[in-house]
Amino acid sequence: MDSRDPPPDDASLHAAWSGRVGELCDLAERLLPLAMELGVDPPPPDDAAGPIDGGDWRGQLFGKLRPQAGGEPVLVAAVCGGTNTGKSLITNVLAGAEISRSLPEAARTRRPVASLPRALGGRVDLAALFPGFTPVPWADEEDALGGAEGDDVVVWREDPGGRQPARLILVDTPDVDGTLRGNWQRAEAIRNACDVIVAVLTQQKYNDAAVRDFFAAAAAAGKTLVVVFNMVDWPAQRGRIGGWLATFVAETGAAPLAVYAVPHDFARAAAATIEFHPLPELVGGAPAAGPVDLAAELAGADFDRIKVRAMRGAFRVVVDPQAGMGAWLDRIEAASRGWQDSRRLLAEEARVRVELPAAPGDLVWNEIWNWLEPRRSRIDVGLSRVYRAASGGMAWLGRRAGLLRSAEDRRDEFAAEELRALKAGLADFIDRLDGAARRDPRLAAVLGPTLVAGDRAAWYAELERRHAALPMISDDYRTFVRTELDRFSSENPNVLRVVLTGLSVGSVARPCITVGLLVAGAAAVPAAAAAGHGISTLVHTSFDYVVWAAAPLVGEGVLGLTVAGIRPLVERLFAGWSAERSRVLTGTLHDVVLGDRLEVVERRAAAGSREEVARARRLLLDGARELDA
Amino acid sequence: MTPPDSLPAAAGFDDAGFDELVGSLDRWSGSLSEWPPARRVRAEWDGVAGRLDRARRELSRVLVVGVVGGTGTGKSTLVNALAGRDVSPAGDVARPTTVAPVVVVARDVDCSWLDLAGIGARVVTSDAPAVANIVLVDCPDPDTQGDDAAPAAGRPSDSNRNRDLLERILPACDVLLLVATAQKYRSWSVAREVAAYAPGRPLIFVQTHASRDADIRDDWRRELERQGIEAPVIHRLDGLEAFRRAAAGLEPEAGFLALVRSIDEELVGRAARRVRRTGALDLAGWFLRQAQGQLEPLRQPVADLASGVESERRRLEGLMSRAVETKLRVSRPAWQRVLEDELVERWHGGPFSMFLHATAALGALWPRLRPGGFVGRVLAGQGIAPPASGDGAWQSIEEVGLSEADVEQSRSVLVGLAARAGVGEPLVGRTRLDAAAVQSSVATLLERTGRWLAAGIDRLVSERRDRSESRVARLVCEVAFAAMIVAVLGRAAWNFFHGHLWLGQGTSGGGFLQEALVWIVLWGLVLRWLVFSRIRAGLARDVTRLVDRLPGARLVDPLVADFAAAAERTAAFVAEADRLDARLAALAARVDEGRSSLGRLARRGP
Repeated sequence: MDSRDPPPDDASLHAAWSGRVGELCDLAERLLPLAMELGVDPPPPDDAAGPIDGGDWRGQLFGKLRPQAGGEPVLVAAVCGGTNTGKSLITNVLAGAEISRSLPEAARTRRPVASLPRALGGRVDLAALFPGFTPVPWADEEDALGGAEGDDVVVWREDPGGRQPARLILVDTPDVDGTLRGNWQRAEAIRNACDVIVAVLTQQKYNDAAVRDFFAAAAAAGKTLVVVFNMVDWPAQRGRIGGWLATFVAETGAAPLAVYAVPHDFARAAAATIEFHPLPELVGGAPAAGPVDLAAELAGADFDRIKVRAMRGAFRVVVDPQAGMGAWLDRIEAASRGWQDSRRLLAEEARVRVELPAAPGDLVWNEIWNWLEPRRSRIDVGLSRVYRAASGGMAWLGRRAGLLRSAEDRRDEFAAEELRALKAGLADFIDRLDGAARRDPRLAAVLGPTLVAGDRAAWYAELERRHAALPMISDDYRTFVRTELDRFSSENPNVLRVVLTGLSVGSVARPCITVGLLVAGAAAVPAAAAAGHGISTLVHTSFDYVVWAAAPLVGEGVLGLTVAGIRPLVERLFAGWSAERSRVLTGTLHDVVLGDRLEVVERRAAAGSREEVARARRLLLDGARELDA
Repeated sequence: MTPPDSLPAAAGFDDAGFDELVGSLDRWSGSLSEWPPARRVRAEWDGVAGRLDRARRELSRVLVVGVVGGTGTGKSTLVNALAGRDVSPAGDVARPTTVAPVVVVARDVDCSWLDLAGIGARVVTSDAPAVANIVLVDCPDPDTQGDDAAPAAGRPSDSNRNRDLLERILPACDVLLLVATAQKYRSWSVAREVAAYAPGRPLIFVQTHASRDADIRDDWRRELERQGIEAPVIHRLDGLEAFRRAAAGLEPEAGFLALVRSIDEELVGRAARRVRRTGALDLAGWFLRQAQGQLEPLRQPVADLASGVESERRRLEGLMSRAVETKLRVSRPAWQRVLEDELVERWHGGPFSMFLHATAALGALWPRLRPGGFVGRVLAGQGIAPPASGDGAWQSIEEVGLSEADVEQSRSVLVGLAARAGVGEPLVGRTRLDAAAVQSSVATLLERTGRWLAAGIDRLVSERRDRSESRVARLVCEVAFAAMIVAVLGRAAWNFFHGHLWLGQGTSGGGFLQEALVWIVLWGLVLRWLVFSRIRAGLARDVTRLVDRLPGARLVDPLVADFAAAAERTAAFVAEADRLDARLAALAARVDEGRSSLGRLARRGP
């Protein structure tokens, strides 16, 4: 046994750990879904549906430390090995009863079978002790054989003979090298949970890669190993065992507590009376005389020392900087940094400039007039009516002559043109997303399913639907105009008077405006126009696109050109209108095309800076320091 | 030893047909290298092409039998027993035992074609009858080399490269002899190698350690079935015992004897040809299954791409039809002119014809309005100007109802469908066409549309002309017009001869001529109006009929030509796989394989 281990009475040590272990488990559980998303943890392979994967830190943390850090200190001894090496036979002999059927066919034990000392069954929580397994009471020795693939059951039975030491649980495990990968995984989960491993080796299998890897992980986690060479040509092969063991020890890094040889003997195997020949000379002891009772030897082992050693070993695996939880956090951070690059790329690439057609000015102006109407003098209103009628007449004549089109025609044409511009914007946006996904495999993973499997024709149809459903002037926009104008007039009461003065000029000139509606110029409109119009903080329209200030040459134009301070207001009102129109596009993008994809990118990019990561690092550091002390 | 004649050498095997099929497979697999799934098929083909070629060229060469199994299963002991002497180190001293492969050949067999140096093999000769007509290779085990994914931990086994070496040897083997024990027949690492190398290779199964282990052959067979392998016969023997007897010159035990007989009957002489042929057939079948496996998930997407191209084409054509129809309907004056010109040109010789010519000539003096837009120019019979570059190109097709946004919408939809089918650049372009592509596809579109429209208009005009131009109508017009001339001139003559000369009334001077001219012109115009309204009647309906034919004319094809071509080529690639499958099945159906004890990969999966 390792002489560096502290005296076994250090029970307070793992009581102190139990808090830390609980918190680490909690943090790991919270980070796990994110880590899987980030590809730090590969998803479990299809053919290996098992409880908890791997012999890594997580197996030790969840499979060993968490279930055992607090409760009654029981010692779990698992019998492990390759297919058809006689694990079930050896377990039965150790338990003193046939708890698991031993058969000539390989890989028949699919469910682990636990033999408990008397009266322990009621006290110990097997589901907690073997995480991921469902405990099922033993019915007969066939129990171990049954079970569909992916059925994670641990069969348990209380020792009928009453021979088993009070705190020792014996487990027969499935194989670690057969074609059913689910068996491997169950065996690994049991390995993680146990303290002592009875490694069943044979002449054929002691150096198989799968067997080596399994026991190397056990040794690394501080499990105590008892090696049993089964089916030995005794005594012909006795001299060879030293060489086999040396190879095994060199490959796995294990330091076996004891080594036994079991001769190949059909008759004894059938009667479950196989002999264990101790080979203490191979582990630095004096040669022994004859076969011994392995069950009795196990019962005589120093349970507390083995237990503490196993717990410390498990914790050492967790805090190991190269392979432990810290390395996992490193990978999360590294992956998160990669996602930050992707986020940057997406922000740069997926930006589309949509040039909407010039807004039909009369729409916005009508709203402004409607607001002004009650604030105008009676004469003014009367005059305005006269001119409005005159203007209507002239417009009618103009339309008849083919020189003017009706307002409806213009709006239809505007709507068609606007839809075209929005569609072009959507096409451009999708193209840019395609491009970003091509350049960045991470984005391809997130956006790919949407971009490839999404029904693009339906996206366009949705855009058309939303566009068709959007009224030329919505109630939202009316409210927006009124609020803006109210705010403006309360802030600039004098200017409002100027507006009113200007109107009398404007109303005289009004009949000409329908003809003279032309583009006066482009203006950059402040984002304030979009207040309250954002759909999500992620799909944002920055409203920096060109909004054509559709100011007429005369009439309303007089206002815009003559009155300082009015022009920005009018521009904002126009911008607000265009912003609302463009929501059709941003809404479609957000709701239909992208869905939650941007949130996913955002979440992954922020993974590295989560507080769980920092907290877990501190805990690991403290734990490592204590372990070394 | 001569093989018994009871076993046919794969009777009915159509060598020429198979060669042709291999040629077709080769051409097919390389025919669409721009498509990633096809590239994967090609890569798969590159893996089997050499073997198929060799199987055909080396039809009568002796078979190479690779002895494969986990460490400690007694491969070397079995090889020693078959070779009749100690040729390969065997035993229980240290695992793994065999590191360098041992090749056992009869003294008179030439194996210079085997790349022995490449696999670091040691060659030994044997006179044993069991290996007289085969080459036996004792292979390293696959299960002692660690997983490469695991980090090197400074263990002795880090230098173990047995599996890598095995994977260099197995391609040279024609037959795999799988050796297993009760402990190893369910070994995952052996199963992995067998799965990789079983295609096209017959398998022989041997359970060794018969004297120590129980008989697990039934369970092994079940396990093999689960892996998709048929194992009609599994031999069971004790290698050590067999070797002892062979060395001592004793009668072999029954299990070993059965194995030797099986080798002799199934792998030697004509049987070797049969093994190679059925192996080649199996291998080709396996390749096609793999290829189908690659293509299967793409069948629907490829079909979707084709139907997507069709529906986007229809959408664009719909937009175009509507715009062209509107344009044609509003171009009434232009139609009238075309119809008139046509009629006037064909009517000669009568007074009314002369009148029509005269009005047409006068009309020609009237300044013609410049024909507006693309459709107007086509109507006026003018040539189509090539589109301007850049945005100008898009503007020029806006006249036929298509805008950049509409085209981009279609292309964007198709990019998505194409991506689902694994189709990308360079098979198809991107959503936004570059300037050169815009220029050329728009030019083609306009050129085609112009030609189609001009032809349609010509046809429409000539139909109307044929309908309206009857001799009777023309005669009636000429007579009516002539009658008016006669009537007016007759009246003048009456006035002059009867009234002036006879009754002595005064003449009205030249005034009567003006009067006559007015009446004639008025009458001529009335007739002309009647004739032309007859021609014009139902024009709107005819325009609709003309435009209805537009979708069939494939005018918008240039805008989505890359997608249409990609859809067609990928669909053809997938369809060709089915045809080749059917050809292979037909070839295989003709082969009478006889009964065989050799195992092999099941033809249609597990």
